[in-house]
Amino acid sequence: MNIYVCIKQVPDTETKIKLNADQNGIDTTGIKWIVSPYDELAIEEALRLRDKNPGSTATVVSAGPVRVVEAMRTALAMGADSAIHVDLPESADNNWVAKSIAGALKKESKFDVIFTGKEAIDDGAAQVSQLVAEYLGIPSVTVVLGTEYLPSGVRCKREIEGGSFEMVEASFPLLIAAQKGLNEPRYASLPNIMKAKKKEVKTLKPSDVGTSEADQKIRYKNFQLPPPKQAGKKISGDPAAQAKELVRLLHEEAKVV
Amino acid sequence: MTWQTYLFLVLAGSTFSYSGYRFSLLYRLMKNHQGKANRLDRIPERILTTIANVLGQKAVLKKRAAGIMHATIFWGFLIITVGTLEQFAGTLYQGASFEFIGEGAYSALVMVQDILTLLVLLAVGYAFYRRLIIRPEGLGKSKDATIVLTLTGSLMISILLMNGFHILSAEPWYQSSMPISRLVAYFLKDLGLTPEFNGALSTLFKWVHMSIVLSFAIYIPSSKHLHIVAAGPNTFLKTLPREKAMKPIPFEDESVQQYGAAKITDLSWKDALDYYSCTECGRCQDVCPAHNTGKPLTPKMLILDLKNNLYHNKEKILAGKLEEVSPIIDQHLTEDVIWACTSCRACEIACPVFIEHTDKIYDIRRNLVMMESKFPAEVQTVFKNMENNASPWAFASSDRGNWAEGLNVKTMAEDSQVDVLLWVGCAGSYDDRNKKVLRAFASILKKANVKFAILGTEEQCTGDPARRIGNEYLYQTLAKANIETLNRYQVKKIVTACPHCFNTIKNEYKDFGGHYEVHHHSQFIAQLVTQGKIKPTKTLDESVTFHDSCYLGRWNSVYEQPRAVLQSLPSINLVEMKSNHDDSMCCGAGGGRMWMEEKIGTRINVKRTEQALETRAGIVASSCPFCMTMLTDGVKSKEMQDKVKVMDIAELIDQSTP
Repeated sequence: MNIYVCIKQVPDTETKIKLNADQNGIDTTGIKWIVSPYDELAIEEALRLRDKNPGSTATVVSAGPVRVVEAMRTALAMGADSAIHVDLPESADNNWVAKSIAGALKKESKFDVIFTGKEAIDDGAAQVSQLVAEYLGIPSVTVVLGTEYLPSGVRCKREIEGGSFEMVEASFPLLIAAQKGLNEPRYASLPNIMKAKKKEVKTLKPSDVGTSEADQKIRYKNFQLPPPKQAGKKISGDPAAQAKELVRLLHEEAKVV
Repeated sequence: MTWQTYLFLVLAGSTFSYSGYRFSLLYRLMKNHQGKANRLDRIPERILTTIANVLGQKAVLKKRAAGIMHATIFWGFLIITVGTLEQFAGTLYQGASFEFIGEGAYSALVMVQDILTLLVLLAVGYAFYRRLIIRPEGLGKSKDATIVLTLTGSLMISILLMNGFHILSAEPWYQSSMPISRLVAYFLKDLGLTPEFNGALSTLFKWVHMSIVLSFAIYIPSSKHLHIVAAGPNTFLKTLPREKAMKPIPFEDESVQQYGAAKITDLSWKDALDYYSCTECGRCQDVCPAHNTGKPLTPKMLILDLKNNLYHNKEKILAGKLEEVSPIIDQHLTEDVIWACTSCRACEIACPVFIEHTDKIYDIRRNLVMMESKFPAEVQTVFKNMENNASPWAFASSDRGNWAEGLNVKTMAEDSQVDVLLWVGCAGSYDDRNKKVLRAFASILKKANVKFAILGTEEQCTGDPARRIGNEYLYQTLAKANIETLNRYQVKKIVTACPHCFNTIKNEYKDFGGHYEVHHHSQFIAQLVTQGKIKPTKTLDESVTFHDSCYLGRWNSVYEQPRAVLQSLPSINLVEMKSNHDDSMCCGAGGGRMWMEEKIGTRINVKRTEQALETRAGIVASSCPFCMTMLTDGVKSKEMQDKVKVMDIAELIDQSTP
C-alpha cells in the first residue's frame, strides 16, 4: 500500500500569540513550532496501517515555508519512510496548500490512503483535507475516531453532532481526517530520531505541482486579538437582589438576555 | 605422612578445585558485561572505607541487634579461621602447630578462639530465633540461610567437642586458656571413656569440622553466602561520594547503539558484583516507600531478579552469545517495578554492602524510554512539554518570569553584575503554591541586601525529570542549553529553592561543562542568619516538624542547615518525625514520579503525611517544591488543612523577619 499523511506545522499550544507589525498575520519570532496534534494522530494511523501491510510505505507531505521540514523530521522520527515538501510562502492559504498537496500526490505513482488531521489547531479551518480529496477526486471521511480496514476500502467511525457516531464505508483510494480518540501517537525512539536525520526529504516548487500564487483565494487584511479577559464580578446582597442584579447585568452589559 | 594427610589432600584438592572453577565462572560472567564502571580512583579513601565497613562492620552495625549478631559471627569467623588453618597444617604435617608464636601469644589466641566459638554459637542461636520466631518481613524465608546457619552452628559444636575430647585425651599445656572447651570436657568426662577413645573422638570431630569447612567452599559460590567473598570488594569498589551523578551517555559516539540496559549484560560488571554481594537481609525493602505502600517494587527482589536473570542466561553469556540473552523485563521484573521507584535512595543508604539500586533502575528506564518508547502514558505529555516549552508542565516559556511581577527582580539580561543567580525552577515559576515560596525567598534576599538576578525567560527546565525518567537525550538537550546560558553570563554562584535543580546543577552539569558553586536556599538562608544579615524576630507559637527532601538529604547530605534555619525562629518548637535524616521517608515525587499517576497500592504522600501528623505539629516545614505539593495534598486527603499548614522554610523565615 502507498500511504500518505499530510501534516501542518503550527505554533505550540502554549504560545502567547502576538500580531505582526502589519496586523495581517501573527508575529512568528520566538515561536516554538510543533506538528499539529490532530496530524500526529494521522501519522500514527499511517504507521500502524503500514506496519500491518508488509511492503507498504508511509510518506509524509507538507506545504509551507522551509521551517515545515522540521515538523516532517518529527514524523520521520516517529517512523514515516520519506517526506515531500512543497515550498510555499508563509502567507499561502488553505486552497493553495490543498491544491499543491494534491498536485504533489498526483505526481506519485499511486496512492491508496491519505491521512490528515481533522483540522489544524492554529486557524482551525478544517479546509485542507476535504479540498485535497476534491482536487484528487477521491472520497474523504472526516472527524474519524475508528477505522476498520476491509479488502476494498475502509469502514470509518466518525463523530457527528450531539455526541453521536456514524459508520461510513469508502473504497480505496480515499482520504481520512483523524479525530482525537483514533489512537495514541507514539513517542519517537532515539534510534529512530537518529535515523530520521538521514531520511529523504524531497522538495518541490509550486510550479512542479502545477500551482502558483493565483491559487491563493484569501488574503488576510487585519487581525485583532480578543479583548483581555476581565476579572469575575461577585454579586452580593440577598438572593432576590442578587438575581435581579444578575439579570440586569446579563441584559445591559453582556447583552445576552 | 599419615592416612590423614592423604585423605585431606584428596578432599581439599578436589573441593578447592571445584570451588575455584565455580568462582572463575562468576568472574567471567561479571567480565562479560558491556556497561562501564570505573571504580579505581581515590584508593586511600577506598581502603579506609573498606576497613571501617568490613573489618569494623560499621554499616552492618547500623541495625543494632542484627548488627551485633553479624559482627560476632564475622569477627569469630576471622579468628577461628586461624585455628582452622592450624588444623589444616596439622593434618598435612603431623604435629605442625602455631605454637611457635610464643607461649603467651598462643595462649591468648587459643583463649580468644575458645570464647568466640561460644559467642558465634550464641549469635547463630539468635539468628535462628530471629528467622524462625521474630521473622522480620524484609528477611523473608530462605533455605540458604537455614543451611548456612546449621552448618555454622555445627562448625562451632564440632570445635568444642574436638577440643573437649582433646583435653581429656592429651591434656595439652594450653588447656587453662580454653574455659569453654574445659567446661565441655568436664561434662564429657562423665562418659568415662578411655584416653585412646577420647583421642579418636577428638580426631573424628576434627574431621567433621574440616568437612564442614570444605563443604562451605563448595556451597558459597551458589548461595547467598557468596557475600562473604563479594561484599568486601563491593565495599572497596563502591561509589564514594554521596553526591553521585548519573552516568552521561555519549550520544556523539556513533559506536554506541544501545542506550540503557535491555539485557542483563548491558549493565556493568559492578552491577553483577552487587548481586553477588546481596545477603538478602531485606534492609532495603524495609525502607522502600514503594514497597511499603503496596507497589510491586522491592529493592531486594530487584537485585535477586537481576541475579536470577544473570544465572538464567549464564551459558549464553559465557559462550559470548550476548545477542541471545533474554530481556531484563520479564514476568518477574516487570515495567511496573521499574516505574514504581521514586529514586529516594533509602535502599542504597540502608544497604550494609553498598549495593546501588538506583543506577540499575535508571539504566533499565533509559532502555525502555529511548530504545522502546515504553513509559506510563502520562509521561509523553511531560516530555513534549519539556521539548516545546522547556517545562514539564504545559506553560508558555514566555510566562516564566511572571511569578516575580511587582517584586522588582532583575533578569540577568538586564543586569548580570550580581552576587548570586537565583535559579527559580519550573515549580517556582509556574505552580501557584510554589510561586509564593519563591516570592518569600526573593523577599528574604532583598531584606538581606543580596544582589541577585534571575534568568527569566532564558531559564529552562534543568532536564532532571527527563533524566530520572530515562530520557537522557532530552536531559542533555536542556542541560546543554542551560549551561550555554549560564556560561554566557559567566555565572559563578547559584542559589535555588528546588533540591532537584540543586542536585543536577551542582553534581551533574559538571559532566557537560557547567561548573558552579550551587547552594540550596536552606544553606543560603542559614548563612544569612549566621552572618546576621537576616534576623527573624516574630515568635512562632506552633510546633514545627521538618520533612527531609531526598535530593537534599540522602543525595547531598544537607540535613543540618534547614534545621538550623528553622531553629533561628524565636521560640520555635522543632519536633522530629519518627523517620528523619537518612531514615526519612520520601514524599513520593522523586524519580519523575511527580508526573506519573500512582495507580498501584496506597499513596506514598499520604503515608508520609500520617507520619508528620503523628508529631502533632501545626506546621509541616518543607524545603522542596515537590514535597510541598505532595504533603499539601496529603494533609488535604486527611482533611487536616484547617489545623496543619505545609510551609516552606523560606516562608517561615520571611514572615518572621521585619
